[in-house]
Amino acid sequence: MAELEYIEGYPAYMHELLQRVHASREKRKTYVPEAMSMEEQQKVLKLHPDYAPGGKRNISVGPNKGDVAPEPVADLLEAYPLVGSEEIDISSADFDVDIMVIGGGLAGTAAAIWANIQGVPADRILLVNKLRHGDANSIMAEGGTQAADREIDSLDRHYLDSMGGGHFTNKPDVLRGLVEDAPFVMHWLHELGAMIDKNEDGTFVEKWGGGTSVRRLHSCKDYTGLEEFRVIRDEFRSRKIGCIEHYPAIELLTDGEGTVTGAVLYNLETGEYKIVQAKATILATGGFGRLHIRGFPTTNHYGATADGLVLAYRAGAKLRDTDTVQYHPTGAAYPIQIVGYLLTEKLRSSGAQPVNVDGDSFVFPLEPRDVEASAIIRECYVRDKGIETPTGLRGVWLDTPMIEVKNGEGYIKKAFPGMDRMFSRYDIDMTNNPVLVFPTLHYQNGGVETDPQGRTTLDGLWVAGEVSGGVHGKNRLMGNSTLDTMVYGRRSGMSAAEYVKGGAEQGKLTLEHQTSYVKMLKEADVPPERRSPILLPEYRGKEALARMIDVF
Amino acid sequence: MKVPYYPGCTLKTKAANFETSALAVAERLGIELVELPRWNCCGTVYSLADDDLIHHVAAVRNLIRVQEMNAQGLVDDEYRLVTLCSMCFNTLKQANVRMSENPEDLEKINDLMYLEDDYEGRVEVKHLLELVDELGFDKVEEQVKNPLEGLRIAPYYGCMLLRPTEVGIDDPEDPQIQTRMLEALGAEKIENPYRKVCCGSYQTVQDKKVVSNLAYDILTHARNAGADAISLSCPLCAFNLDSRQREIKEDHPSFREIPVFYFTQLMAMAFGLSEDYCGFDLNYIDPEPLLSAKGIIGGSNGE
Amino acid sequence: MASSEESATKKLDLQKVMDRIAEASKQVVSGVEAGTVENWVTIYIMGRAYQVPADLTILTAMEYAGYKFVRGVGCRQGFCGACATLYRKEGEYKLQAGMACQTRVEDGMYLVQIPFTPAEKPSYDIAELDYDVNTLFEYYPELARCVSCNTCTKACPQDLEVMDYVQAGIKGDFGDLAEESFDCIQCGLCAIRCPSEIVQYNVAQLGRRLYGRYDSPEPEHLTNRLEEIDEGKFEQALDEITSLGREELEKMYAEREREQE
Repeated sequence: MAELEYIEGYPAYMHELLQRVHASREKRKTYVPEAMSMEEQQKVLKLHPDYAPGGKRNISVGPNKGDVAPEPVADLLEAYPLVGSEEIDISSADFDVDIMVIGGGLAGTAAAIWANIQGVPADRILLVNKLRHGDANSIMAEGGTQAADREIDSLDRHYLDSMGGGHFTNKPDVLRGLVEDAPFVMHWLHELGAMIDKNEDGTFVEKWGGGTSVRRLHSCKDYTGLEEFRVIRDEFRSRKIGCIEHYPAIELLTDGEGTVTGAVLYNLETGEYKIVQAKATILATGGFGRLHIRGFPTTNHYGATADGLVLAYRAGAKLRDTDTVQYHPTGAAYPIQIVGYLLTEKLRSSGAQPVNVDGDSFVFPLEPRDVEASAIIRECYVRDKGIETPTGLRGVWLDTPMIEVKNGEGYIKKAFPGMDRMFSRYDIDMTNNPVLVFPTLHYQNGGVETDPQGRTTLDGLWVAGEVSGGVHGKNRLMGNSTLDTMVYGRRSGMSAAEYVKGGAEQGKLTLEHQTSYVKMLKEADVPPERRSPILLPEYRGKEALARMIDVF
Repeated sequence: MKVPYYPGCTLKTKAANFETSALAVAERLGIELVELPRWNCCGTVYSLADDDLIHHVAAVRNLIRVQEMNAQGLVDDEYRLVTLCSMCFNTLKQANVRMSENPEDLEKINDLMYLEDDYEGRVEVKHLLELVDELGFDKVEEQVKNPLEGLRIAPYYGCMLLRPTEVGIDDPEDPQIQTRMLEALGAEKIENPYRKVCCGSYQTVQDKKVVSNLAYDILTHARNAGADAISLSCPLCAFNLDSRQREIKEDHPSFREIPVFYFTQLMAMAFGLSEDYCGFDLNYIDPEPLLSAKGIIGGSNGE
Repeated sequence: MASSEESATKKLDLQKVMDRIAEASKQVVSGVEAGTVENWVTIYIMGRAYQVPADLTILTAMEYAGYKFVRGVGCRQGFCGACATLYRKEGEYKLQAGMACQTRVEDGMYLVQIPFTPAEKPSYDIAELDYDVNTLFEYYPELARCVSCNTCTKACPQDLEVMDYVQAGIKGDFGDLAEESFDCIQCGLCAIRCPSEIVQYNVAQLGRRLYGRYDSPEPEHLTNRLEEIDEGKFEQALDEITSLGREELEKMYAEREREQE
């Protein structure tokens, strides 16, 4: 086959198609489709990967038996432990701490800091990381953080927007905690020295987010999560709180009576295990994007493999809203090297419109995420108005040049340096040409059920961030995830600290919960080779894998 | 006249008042000092080792920025670069001399800095004092509205403006440039035999004593010769002669403190500019009592 | 059009749509099939040659070759700095740097990953620090050793002007330091290459925090909102809204007013 001819980073045929986007821009300056009514939303949502038939089944064991979950998630819940009590010695602990935090993204790091602020000494806290401290979805958050801090705005308005976005399934008291603490989180970040975008007059720049009724989104260019996390990690390190890396937790320990008492850690490089005993454990392990549910590419980091869900569930914690997955409407669909990567919603709130192959805009750009994503799928696979890439992916244009039309020349480089850099590596100039997008697997909406203090249904176990369930209901709004990590990181850290200071005793270390779980698995005829947590996804080449032998 | 201007780090931090006064008096003289874009630290001291080229990279990189400014039409001067700090002046100029005398060194440095344009060797490094001298002190005299009459000032030169002779701006044995300036400003000039003695330079970081001993000699000789104040042209000398009077006072309780002026502060006073340009709050020894006593401030109307 | 489309959606086998999407994404999700690859290149992973598909990044090419990463990989999308990589191309003297997840493989690349950078990170309480250049020198005195060689800039995979921001720090220009270093992902390559042994990204971190906290005060609207919350201004509204049933919420949501653009 002849080599494709490329123009401005696109194959010639795609470059020709995108001229229609340029041609229709003048018209689209003033015409934007209206937001859908609730009925229209319901109609298009049938095409959402969550609502389309297939891909799910009922969980057959454990506290959520009978609930629906995506198949890869159900597979991990219905799986045998990596190690059993007969293989390891848990009689004495290698680390003895008051509070163990599992997972070093924004939520876990905030939890450790706030436990320390509440009076738990730095050397009595241990932050456990599967990869490096900060290899997390948090730092990849681009768009922003919601907080109702403008005069026109109110906490109840933030509540209502989030409730509507979540299709009224959010847990009210937990969502209330989120909106109530949001302004404080912005204050905390400012005190720590985060560079939050400000206007000339000193007020925060606040943008629209999909599904919000006012501008409420705070950002740090398009590196919001990176900036928030860098600052918080720097604070964490200044406090000299205990931290180990490349040492994932592979099982929780309990006292055998429903209280979490520690964890088994595994050295990813040497294979050695370590035992931690802790009076309180905070689980902040993030989500499950790397399970590639329904075969979708993902925006998530390498370690997003649902470990926390597995560990908590096996220990007996209840989950909720396991049936829903968030697909971000605009992942990159071209070039192949960056397929699935997040193209922040802030692009659309700054004026970029989704446009089909004819150059027409076909959806209000700021619908809630599930609606927007479904509309793009409909355009590509029902109306056949998508653009096909050389590798067979379909997508629609996101007309990024419109951002400069609306905000002035030079705005993209200033507001979206990360995105601009990513595309320029592949010779695409998003200031002058649109980019191709398609929905991508983004967020675990549900998770381990929590209360307004981050407590789970198990004593001694807290959760914070994406691993938790309830605050977002069945669909999270943009800007509520980084907010969630910091609000519930802080709340769980403070609550765990109070628990420890209130005289909590260290419980005994057992794997008894494992024994009873394994019994259930056997009764449910779960195939014995299925084991979890998987810790890391498998991307090795098939040819190489086929010839691998294990000699050590 | 728009001339490329290299401030140096100290003028941007510890001695910001030297810069504000310099920019203001230069403007009065019809010189617009245009700050070099993307300038970097000059290298602090000129490295004397023969084989230590890497330490000249910093200086040469700044010279390349002058070329860029000229190419972009930001300035209209013929490749002059003006500095306010004698240390920066000396470091930049010595490196410049070395580059013009050793084409091989220049080639190596250009090669190492392959992301930059090559340095063509055309820049001339000037201290502001020298630039003003070239303009003519008669032009300075024309601007004087508030002559510094009755103010007895001992000029101090130190090392970096004078040595080595290839880069010096005046006779190293008998420098006169500040004398001409003081005359133009209407001040009384006091001869000080210690005007060329080193102030101790960066010893001030390692060993304050070395510096305060030297400063004691320089300052007491000036005092004994009848001076009310010192004038100088280098922020490091200024720090050593001014701020180290704290340590001198500790060792010699009878020592009489003496104000130290950066030369542009004196010019600003004489030009009748507002005291705000002089930023005397950054001087360690407050010169204002002296200036009031002599009727230089307080009576007349500053702008 | 709406009605014909509605019937089209109904008739359509929705599961098939999902299957088509999954099929199209297969290469991204579960790797390239050797049989479908048209162009190959040879790369040298720590000196050993591997044939890999030309469309891959350094990261995915190493995975294709059989490497399972437990280090040297993080977000896979250019934000975390875990996959810092140095490489030289055959016949070239220049040592180049890039993020493995963001750099396409090229024929003849000799590469090694630098997954960890030993670096000092002093402790400080940002609330107690002076917003002054001395603070930078107090915690990072080696800053003064910069010789302006620009090696850091050449090493930066984000194409930042690293030397310029270090120099901005030296001259106490916090605005430039903060803005020019803002896109830093702290991969460590600058520090590894610096002949003056400066840890540029940590200096910048301190500089940005000082700038973020002290350059301009907390916005008044935020301070006011915090006061209102303290005074209980929203208690009643939140008590009410959290007690509403689904139908009432739906009605409220449908009727909510949108702020004018």
